[in-house]
Amino acid sequence: MFKKAEVNFAIFHFIKMKKRNKKAAILMENVIFIILNILFITILILFLLKQGQGAVLLEQSYAKQIALLIDSAKPGMTIILDMDKAKDLAEKNGLEFKDIVTKTNTIITVRLSTSGGYSYSYFNDVNVSLYPNGDPENINSYVIKVNEYNQND
Amino acid sequence: MINKKGGGKLMAMYWFVILMIVAGGIFAMVYSFYQHPYDVRELEAEMMINQIADCLSSKGELNLELFNEEGFSEEFPENFLENCHLNFEVEEVWEGEPQYYFRIDFYNAINLENSVFEISKGNSNLVADWNIQEEKEYKRTAKGVEDSFFSFNGEDMYLIKILTIIKKTEKNVK
Repeated sequence: MFKKAEVNFAIFHFIKMKKRNKKAAILMENVIFIILNILFITILILFLLKQGQGAVLLEQSYAKQIALLIDSAKPGMTIILDMDKAKDLAEKNGLEFKDIVTKTNTIITVRLSTSGGYSYSYFNDVNVSLYPNGDPENINSYVIKVNEYNQND
Repeated sequence: MINKKGGGKLMAMYWFVILMIVAGGIFAMVYSFYQHPYDVRELEAEMMINQIADCLSSKGELNLELFNEEGFSEEFPENFLENCHLNFEVEEVWEGEPQYYFRIDFYNAINLENSVFEISKGNSNLVADWNIQEEKEYKRTAKGVEDSFFSFNGEDMYLIKILTIIKKTEKNVK
């Protein structure tokens, strides 16, 4: 029915196809393996980046920073604090930049999300004004103006 | 051939188990790191020392309001917080429980063993917290800083030792 040469060719062709399929399977396994690894590392990096930029952490960091700056300040000083990250986050959460830092007596509150914010107190009994910087070159910063000492009569 | 292929799959599984363990470790470390608040109490205590020192002495000369004709005046310490522009008001969480304490000891330079005058304000219970940390540091207790300097009042030289202690544990330690 078939000639010997034809049978040999068919067998050869079959073996060749099988080898090719096997190679393709190995290649696919490696590709999936590499993709999973890349996916894993990407998720890990995103997690690490997101952890350092959370509202809770930034609120705490800025509130303590401002309180410590006021504690170390003397009347007449004007401090300009870069709040670039805070501005981005606050705007993302629908808050206006001018409302993120508030002061009640000697307590500084920083609010970057719709939750309550973070408060920290300072002991230096000075009159302080806090407002966003109007300077176009430092538009993402806050001005901490230390006025005179409070009078306790 | 079958064993080789099976071995490869086993290796891949083994690799992902290792990755998961590493990831779990990293997640745990990062979570634990960011869950702990920044502890700024030592900085605060140092700043309070600076403020008190600036109030007591300027350019090496003691504030003359500290003295009257008989020696150390009792009036200045009575209104020390106002005179030195300190305000111990804190957040609502600690209402009624002062979170600050300071003590100033004056020693005459010719006798540094016995204090000749002392001023202290704030929550004196925090001193016990400070004292127990002489041998070992405890996280959840109050943090304190001690410093000293010499100053002159025109007649005598004094060594002034200032100890400041800040509690605020809830906002600085977890």
